Amino acid sequence: MSFVEFRFLWFFVLVFIVYWAMRYNTARKVWLLLCSYAFYAAWNWKFTFLLLASTTVDYFVGQMLGRCESPAWRRFWIATSVCANLGVLGFFKYFNFFVSSGSDFLAWLGLPASVNTLNIILPVGISFYTFHSMSYTIDVYRRKLPPISNFVDLALFVSFFPPLVAGPIVRAVYFLPQLVSAHKFSNVDVRGAVMLFLAGFIKKACIADGVAPTVDRYFAHPANFTPMSAWIGVLFYAIQIYCDFSGYTDMAIAAARLLGFQLPNNFQFPYFARNVSDFWRRWHISLSSWLRDYLYIPLGGNRGSRGFAYRNVMVTMLLGGLWHGAAWTFVVWGALHGFALLIHREWIRLTEGLKWAARAMRWFAWPITIYAVCVAWIFFRAHDLGGAGTTLKQFVLFRGGGTEHFHRWMFLVIVGLVLIHWLNSRRWFAESWRKWPAPAFAAAYGCTFAVVLLFVPPHYTPFIYFQF
Amino acid sequence: MWAVTNSAIAAAAFLITCVALHAVLPFPEIDGGVSQKFRFFTAHKDEFDTLFIGSSRVYFQISPAVFDRVTHESGLPTHSFNFGIGGMYLPESDYLLEQILNLKPRNLKWVFIEYDELPTKWSSENQSSRRALYWADWKRVSVLLRKLTDSGTGPRWLPNPAKLRDIILRQNDETNTRSLLTFYAAQMEKNYANVARAADVLDYFLGRDTKGRRASYLGVANDGYVTRPDRMAPSQVTAYERGLADAMAESGTRSLSPYAVEAYRQCATGVRSIGATPIFLITPSTTQINIAIENTGLPGVVMAFNDPRAYPSLFRSSARRDGQHLTKSGAEEFTRIVAANFVELARAGRIK
Repeated sequence: MSFVEFRFLWFFVLVFIVYWAMRYNTARKVWLLLCSYAFYAAWNWKFTFLLLASTTVDYFVGQMLGRCESPAWRRFWIATSVCANLGVLGFFKYFNFFVSSGSDFLAWLGLPASVNTLNIILPVGISFYTFHSMSYTIDVYRRKLPPISNFVDLALFVSFFPPLVAGPIVRAVYFLPQLVSAHKFSNVDVRGAVMLFLAGFIKKACIADGVAPTVDRYFAHPANFTPMSAWIGVLFYAIQIYCDFSGYTDMAIAAARLLGFQLPNNFQFPYFARNVSDFWRRWHISLSSWLRDYLYIPLGGNRGSRGFAYRNVMVTMLLGGLWHGAAWTFVVWGALHGFALLIHREWIRLTEGLKWAARAMRWFAWPITIYAVCVAWIFFRAHDLGGAGTTLKQFVLFRGGGTEHFHRWMFLVIVGLVLIHWLNSRRWFAESWRKWPAPAFAAAYGCTFAVVLLFVPPHYTPFIYFQF
Repeated sequence: MWAVTNSAIAAAAFLITCVALHAVLPFPEIDGGVSQKFRFFTAHKDEFDTLFIGSSRVYFQISPAVFDRVTHESGLPTHSFNFGIGGMYLPESDYLLEQILNLKPRNLKWVFIEYDELPTKWSSENQSSRRALYWADWKRVSVLLRKLTDSGTGPRWLPNPAKLRDIILRQNDETNTRSLLTFYAAQMEKNYANVARAADVLDYFLGRDTKGRRASYLGVANDGYVTRPDRMAPSQVTAYERGLADAMAESGTRSLSPYAVEAYRQCATGVRSIGATPIFLITPSTTQINIAIENTGLPGVVMAFNDPRAYPSLFRSSARRDGQHLTKSGAEEFTRIVAANFVELARAGRIK
């Protein structure tokens, strides 16, 4: 069940009405928990047991961490939680990848090994809810959060349906306090939430799904296309992944808001970043801050020598790449971002106090950043490293490729979308609708949604981040 | 209370806009020649008195030119149009026929409707096309849902409990039925909400419907018939003959489901409402051989050409492209036989 399907509408209407009709907080939480499990079961009911098992382990670890004062025991319990969570994630997501990569490596050494991969189905959203759940035990271990005694609260935090399958990654310290008392409907910004949902819907259903066929066509056989078409394919993919993911996030935040919950912001106009560090402060913010706080800083962060700090950056970005998917293309994507971050740091260090560098960067910072990000997207989207190499040759060197081409007017689509995005960043579509009388807003909203549906493609393309 | 009122206003505005848009939007741009044939027929609706509607077994096998020549020579002149579309079965054909009849073609006298089972499965690659969407209104989807849940055709919708249990538990033959039920319900919602209809405007401005494209669907004579000249390869001939022998060896006949019959009954009622006569047509195809033609319960004549013993020339491997289709010469021969039968039945007073 996806946010852009009609059945989600019926599902949400039911959840919403029953939720707000209930008076007691406990009843509401149980209702939301049941609905969240039902939402997850719509994909594959068998994996609800995995979700429950993951929650149960972390609940138990949280309880033990609350009782233990001995540092050794505390380390043991947190290690248990981390191993259990990453073990499950590793098995479902990375088992086949490591087995086949190991086999390829042995073959390369001249030691061919006959290995069998398993027919493993990847549970939807496993990377997201694993990180949700781990944030709880790690924060309890760090004493930032007291262990929770109410199992329903923890289960609801891990399985809360809006961010369950594609984020934003919610931390326990952010979400659990919201479960303490019952929310009041009068405090809900309904107008803001439904507008955010509409914006997310347009991004995903109209824009991302609209450009998806062109992207799919290009990346299926990149060698058949001209370099100009490679540019269209890559730029369309940059648009698709942003609109797809930020659209999902907008809808998730809006759905949560309508139920009285706040979720963290995940995007802040990332394609207007002026360097790669800035990009990561604007793109998938909940993941980059999670990796920063639970991986980069524990590794040592910026402390120690420059080389040590650079190593930490590379390790974080490589693992961040691998988090996205079990393929070498994602590892390369992470590595490229890691290198870009290091180059940026070196540039800052070497040009500190140089006025010409600051002046040059005023003109070139944005194009260089967006170009680097697009080059990295090639690896993110390509089916394999060979395909990525073909696209890279076309995109960077304007060489190679076949004769198939896309219409040039597609560049106009890109320009138009960038312009709309820029105007939005300048708050041109600011919240004038807030001043309208409520019935007029409601009528305009209904009409607008009906018109928006005209632009939705007949096919539903699954959210890109569902596979992660 | 205000929240409920505003929600009701938003819902009403949404529904009213959807209905208004549905009313003003033109016939959608559908692949496979649907739009091209529909637009052509709309422009020339009063020129034709005979219409053939069905799948590729009609599209590539009924030549209006040959049909009209035979009827003319027999003293019952006709002017026919082939509205066959590749892969068009019930309920799509029922919907399209309804749209054609809504045009009120003044001179239409005879409508040949391909007679076949109501399929409930759509291949997954075709599920995402607009072709799987534009016909999905309540009338059509309800027949599909009734068949999938075995609810009968009566006024009360009572699903078969055993079938319902199998659907919920995904057991026996019902492993995919749940997803099909969801699919058809979603198609209907999308259809009423005008999903993807803006593409028609884009198609119009991009000029995708070129003359060449139109001609490829309408044929050289602009009568909707397109020839397919290729023959079977020797290896295919062996497989075809084996399949034909197996089909002929099968004992007994199979009747169409009550859902298909109900859909055809509705088609017949629609055709009669504009003063024309429905004629049901079973084409010479190996999958049609054992379809029962007795006691169909339909208000119209059934013309069956599915018996290889009665029409051996239509089942000769040299006349066929595959088990379902005839070659160009085979199609012309089939059309002549259909026309001759039609004239005979008309003279006998069985077709008015």
